[in-house]
Amino acid sequence: SKESSPLPAMASAAAAAAAEWEEAERKVLVARKAAFGLPTACPTCLPVLLYLRMCNVPFDIHVDSSFPDADHIPYVEFGECVAFNNEKGGVIEYLKEEKIVDLNSKHPSVSYSDVLSTKAMVMTWLSDALQYELWLASDGSIPHDIYFSDLSWPIGKILYWKKTREVKQQLGITKLNAAEKEEEIYQKANAAYDALSTRLGDQIFLFDNSPTDVDALFLGHALFVLNVLPDTSVLRSCLQKYDNLVNFTKHLKVQLLEADSDSSATGLGSTDPSSSSTPRKRASSGRSYKPKPRAKKERTEEEKKFRRKAKYFLATQLVAVLLFLSLMGGADSSELDDEDGVDYED
Amino acid sequence: MATAADQNPNDAEHREAAAGANAAAEEYEEEDEEEEEVELDGPAAVAAEREKVQAVFKRLSSDPVGIRVHDVIIKGNAKTKEELIEAEVAELLRAAPTVQDLLRNASIASARLRQLDVFDSVNITLDAGPPELPGTTNVVVEVVEAANPITGSAGVYSKPEARSWSLEGSVKLKNLFGYGDIWDASGAYSWDQTSEVGIGVSLPRFKSISTPLMARASLSSQDWLKFSSYKERLLGLSFGLISTMQHDLSYNLTWRTLTDPSQVSSKSIRRQLGHNLLSALKYTYKIDQRNSHLRPTKGYAFLSTSQVGGLWDSKGLRFFRQEFDVRGAVPLGFYNSALNVGLGVGAILPLGRGFMNLSSSVPDRFYLGGHSSPVCSLSGLSSLLGFRTRGIGPTEPRRLVPSESEDGSAASPGRDYLGGDLAVSAFADLSFDLPLKIFRDAGIHGHAFLTAGNLAKLSEGEYKKFSLSEFGRTFRSSAGVGIILPTKLFRVEVNYCYILKQAEHDSGRTGIQFSFSSPL
Repeated sequence: SKESSPLPAMASAAAAAAAEWEEAERKVLVARKAAFGLPTACPTCLPVLLYLRMCNVPFDIHVDSSFPDADHIPYVEFGECVAFNNEKGGVIEYLKEEKIVDLNSKHPSVSYSDVLSTKAMVMTWLSDALQYELWLASDGSIPHDIYFSDLSWPIGKILYWKKTREVKQQLGITKLNAAEKEEEIYQKANAAYDALSTRLGDQIFLFDNSPTDVDALFLGHALFVLNVLPDTSVLRSCLQKYDNLVNFTKHLKVQLLEADSDSSATGLGSTDPSSSSTPRKRASSGRSYKPKPRAKKERTEEEKKFRRKAKYFLATQLVAVLLFLSLMGGADSSELDDEDGVDYED
Repeated sequence: MATAADQNPNDAEHREAAAGANAAAEEYEEEDEEEEEVELDGPAAVAAEREKVQAVFKRLSSDPVGIRVHDVIIKGNAKTKEELIEAEVAELLRAAPTVQDLLRNASIASARLRQLDVFDSVNITLDAGPPELPGTTNVVVEVVEAANPITGSAGVYSKPEARSWSLEGSVKLKNLFGYGDIWDASGAYSWDQTSEVGIGVSLPRFKSISTPLMARASLSSQDWLKFSSYKERLLGLSFGLISTMQHDLSYNLTWRTLTDPSQVSSKSIRRQLGHNLLSALKYTYKIDQRNSHLRPTKGYAFLSTSQVGGLWDSKGLRFFRQEFDVRGAVPLGFYNSALNVGLGVGAILPLGRGFMNLSSSVPDRFYLGGHSSPVCSLSGLSSLLGFRTRGIGPTEPRRLVPSESEDGSAASPGRDYLGGDLAVSAFADLSFDLPLKIFRDAGIHGHAFLTAGNLAKLSEGEYKKFSLSEFGRTFRSSAGVGIILPTKLFRVEVNYCYILKQAEHDSGRTGIQFSFSSPL
């Protein structure tokens, strides 16, 4: 029902979310634990963290180490609102859609279709390759360090086995086509790296000289591949063949992760003075739609009253029936007692 | 608690059945001897034989006659291991020095074998010993094994608040391997909250261990979405280590997963979602000297439950949990009235480095509220008449979804009840007969009650803010009157509750409330 609400209601909802974001004293990013020199070693959480850093958003990190198979992690808490990873396309899409922070809105000259196609490539081909490397190609010690080191070992082993099976199903890998699938995955990953390398060229960011969400997504992927995967990793070897991608990764890693812990001191401000300004909030136009929810609420109240009355009626009937049965049952039991007495005399 | 309550009626039934069987056996023996007397020839011989028999009986009944058991012969056990039966009865029979003692021990042995619940009938007869050894006897134990080793049962039970009914069924396989083992598979489905599937085995006696051993594997899920915005799934093994009348020691190894399919949980609940391994030892000490489970009018009851978690490794849940429950019933002498009072106290303490700043696990905390009768159940910490289940205590706002909050008239997202690390609850209940005789005959009676309780959070450093005076000042309480209808299916209570005191976010409601509980 929320999805079918008219657009002005969504606009008012976006304004409400943005207001909550501004009012929140401190945002909290709930992610998985840090490892391998990264603030979070989870390949799903790292892009979100980098995106918040690129937006110069101050936030705290809370580590969740007991729910490795949760699809709602990472999520961002602001006030009483939460942006979950399994809602509205993910945390980054949620923040963009709710007009909270949107890196792409500072690029009127960048082609939207270019950004979208590049993002789709990163989120499919590269994501699949990374999943394959993490769960199927390695010996399991890396997933254990990232996800299961704080769980008791039987639970960790069961969840690891379960996740491995899920990834196989997701990538369509069976015993028969394992070799072909592996070759296909690496082929696509290499093609993606080649395309991204061509797109990047000598620039600091993938599109012009300002970051977009694609930069956060790809940077997360690249940092994971270069820092977490072992030297024997095929994917890592593929990535290291493209010098500009490696330099891109190292450069931004220094800026975003090795600077002062307070991310407001990042060097992004010097490269783009306009990034410090927050997006202008749209005026709320939901006033004219208020009568409809009120009518709904009134009906709900009537329904509640009716249900309460029905509940009382049914309960009263049940009690009456039980009372009748109890009285009749009492008479029957006394007769049975008499019969027992007769048997005893015999 | 339900398990303990279940066992008591069964034990009583077993004892009654054993007593009845013994009486029947005695009658049977007398009839046999009379027939023998009738068959004798000649009036003079008849008179002489009768005198002899009477003399023997007089001697047996008045004077102790020494006897020695030469052998214990077991017949009829096609499947059951002979050593099982021998372990149960042989030593008991051999220890009898006189005929009177032997007869008494034989009846005890018969009761023991029936208690195994795997035999249809047990007969113990005394036979003459070998001729070269006068004064000896052979005891013949003849058992008839259960023809059908499968028994099943099903029932419909109701839980508090009259919204939760559960359908339960179980199937038992008896004596599958000849050790008196009982295997059972059971399932329970509740419309609202809980569903469970379990498989268990119990051994009444294994080699030289005299206490029964039990093991059970179960898979259950509990739905607390309405109260605390989480759903709990448990996959567990439990082992009964010691189980006597008053002591119960068990070990549990449970994989517990908390999820929130609705994604509206509050911050504290969100931090607790995930997987945990619960490795806990639980000890329960219980005395129930009240004269009735349904309507106690005299006696007292005491329950102490201690639980230590974190025995597997340091990554599982580590806590210590203690619960006390004291009850008393005093008859008042008019209208068959009685005053029942009870007090329950519980506390949970997380263990580990910096334990006072750690968080206790949400499912292990204490919750108050619900309409089940505080008089009958011996775990009064979970009941507070007039309040909804989990309806009091610390709360936290749920997740705010902005599309709803923009409209000024929309409802707030609600709150999660988090439970407490310290819980205290008390009640006083005055039960009395109603004037009409037809009500008294049916067992319908009235009661007036007063209940109170409070929860406090102590973990995560909150103990610093805890003050006893404030805890006492914020006690929730309710009072009321009601009618109780004990039926064969369940116990019905119709109560009018008046909320005397409640806090801002409590779910107490003044008015008529119904409660249905199992007659355990």
